[in-house]
Amino acid sequence: MPRKVLVVDSVHKTYKGGVYAVRGVSFTVYEGEIYGLIGPNGAGKTTTLRMIAGLIKPSKGSITVDGVDAVREPFRARKLVGYLPEEAEVYSRLKGIEHLKFYAELYGVNNVDEVVEYGASLSGLGSRLYERAGNYSKGMKRRLLLAIVLMRKPRLALLDEPTSGLDVYASVHVREVIKKYVRETRSSVVLSSHNMLEVEYLCDRIGFMYNGRIILEGSPKSIIDEYGVDNLEEAFTKAIEEFRSA
Amino acid sequence: MLRLPRYIRILLGKELLDLSRDRKTLFTSILLPLTMLPLLGLVSLLLIAQQPVNVAIVDLDTSKYTDPQLGLTVDSHWLVGNLTHYLRSYGYNVSLAESLEVVRDPKVDVVVVIPPGFAENASSLDRIAHVTVYKKAGYQAASRAESLVYSVVSAFSYNLSRAKIAALLEIANVAASLQAIRNPVQALTELVSVVGERVSFEAELRSLFARILVLALSFVVTPAASYVIDGIIGERERKTIEFLMVSPAPLSHIIYAKMIAATILGIISAVFDAAGLVLYMFFMGLVYGIAIGIIVDYRLLVLHAVTAFFTILSTITIALPFITKTRGIRSASNIASIVTTAGLVFFFTGFLIDYIKLPPHILYPLYAIPYVHSILAIQAYVFEDPVRSVMHILLLALVSLALLIGATKTIDPEKLLVAPS
Ligand SMILES: Nc1ncnc2c1ncn2[C@@H]1O[C@H](COP(=O)(O)OP(=O)(O)OP(=O)(O)O)[C@@H](O)[C@H]1O
Ligand SMILES: [Mg+2]
Repeated sequence: MPRKVLVVDSVHKTYKGGVYAVRGVSFTVYEGEIYGLIGPNGAGKTTTLRMIAGLIKPSKGSITVDGVDAVREPFRARKLVGYLPEEAEVYSRLKGIEHLKFYAELYGVNNVDEVVEYGASLSGLGSRLYERAGNYSKGMKRRLLLAIVLMRKPRLALLDEPTSGLDVYASVHVREVIKKYVRETRSSVVLSSHNMLEVEYLCDRIGFMYNGRIILEGSPKSIIDEYGVDNLEEAFTKAIEEFRSA
Repeated sequence: MLRLPRYIRILLGKELLDLSRDRKTLFTSILLPLTMLPLLGLVSLLLIAQQPVNVAIVDLDTSKYTDPQLGLTVDSHWLVGNLTHYLRSYGYNVSLAESLEVVRDPKVDVVVVIPPGFAENASSLDRIAHVTVYKKAGYQAASRAESLVYSVVSAFSYNLSRAKIAALLEIANVAASLQAIRNPVQALTELVSVVGERVSFEAELRSLFARILVLALSFVVTPAASYVIDGIIGERERKTIEFLMVSPAPLSHIIYAKMIAATILGIISAVFDAAGLVLYMFFMGLVYGIAIGIIVDYRLLVLHAVTAFFTILSTITIALPFITKTRGIRSASNIASIVTTAGLVFFFTGFLIDYIKLPPHILYPLYAIPYVHSILAIQAYVFEDPVRSVMHILLLALVSLALLIGATKTIDPEKLLVAPS
């Protein structure tokens, strides 16, 4: 039985103002696994990832990262977790390489130079790392941020729409980086996405979120087979219809 | 050497690197304080030099008279000559007019009238001669011309009085000191410190300098406060804060680092502000012929910088709890400007009032306001009470730190992450 890196158990979140964003989500992610959270806008994906990252507290339920209670001890859990926010930006006046160095130091890695070098190679930005990040395109910024998240090899990486807004070429690069990273480090990844092809290509298992719940879970192949359709998109359309009529 | 916690050190390194490349902020906090005051001084000097003042002299006497008793001669032309000479040497336009009609000329700012009988009255033993000055109301430069006329007239009067006394003494055949008769009683002022030791005229100037320094505190507080707002709310608006907040660095350390960066910026601008003031004094010194070295007190400048540091810190900490509860950068700036305006009001009163002289029952309740300690720290130094000055710096530091810790405790990370709606 592979090791459980993340256990999310009946987690709820009501925002101040009464928005009931997550209504009892449970899932488990194993070592070396890529888990995809997908679902329509407002389903609760970002909220779920933020709770795992310890940025916001669940109203109810528990989250365990590699045996550490992430709700009670967010700072201990954070050392194990890397998080790429949905809408993250760079410091426009700092160079790419300075970002890598700053975050390597902030996370207190043992060998800063080594980690920065690894981050530089993950980013694939080459000599452009020595330019101010304010000059970067959206894709370059995303690659830089992804490199920052992955360079210190967190046991669990949370990637909120890692390829959103990127062109085909940049998306392919990001996907390859994620795939290679998991293969090499045996780390686990939870990512959210609206791109079904991406999810099918990258994820070992998928949780389909709708209205703050996971209404369907399994490997891409098993889900497609279960619904007897050609692709994930059709499977999810059917799942939503079933859920509504139930 | 004070060693900062690791997270704060690393975060501060980032803030300072970022700040060193932030031209706009550097410009407003270094160049502006450095140049504003000297420029103001320079411009007003130039403008004063450019302002023409037209003085007309009307001599209705044009006579020479010798008093039969004293044998003393007075000529109205002598006074006209003196007035013309001094007024011209100070750059005023002087013209001689025939009649009082010249008062109606809008181009003429000051009219000096020597009435008929002037020479006769001036030389006599029982009458006083008058000179009338017509000054157009509400014109600054005209006032300066007027006071110059008064000086010339009083010098003329003084010399005449000495000549009269000398003539009388000769008639009476008495030996006496002219001074003892002309000025038998004199008042003398000795400048002393609060403890009664003699101090020089420079001490007065230094006190003026210190007053301006108190006022100058308000200029350095504003850029530092807006920098911190931008640093905290700006990270949210620019979407860099979420990435930072998932790091193991506690939120309080993220905020401390920003505060330290802001206060460093504040100190830099305080130093440049003081340098600007020195330049200003230098220009003024040129005009009034005072050597700059006697006004500028370097310990006072250091005190100013230290006071600025804690004043900024307390301003930011007062604004902080409100700032983090606001929706956007605009409303955060509004709150900061309310706090800094309050500071400005205090510093302005500090410019006018010697807080240090207030009776305890009024002063002690005011101790609750951090800015009062800033003012007192500088005033105590000027009034030569360095111990008290240090005490107020310490109190200010204590209040700032207490506010800082309190403020960071009230911040809700979730609210910082997502703007309240
Ligand atoms: N700060 C907040 N305050 C109040 N409600 C919020 C807040 N953030 C999100 N919500 C609400 O919570 C629900 C879930 O939002 P969430 O951002 O988790 O969705 P998502 O699945 O990530 O959507 P998307 O695909 O558009 O990114 C939505 O209804 C949203 O309006
Ligand atoms: Mg989202």
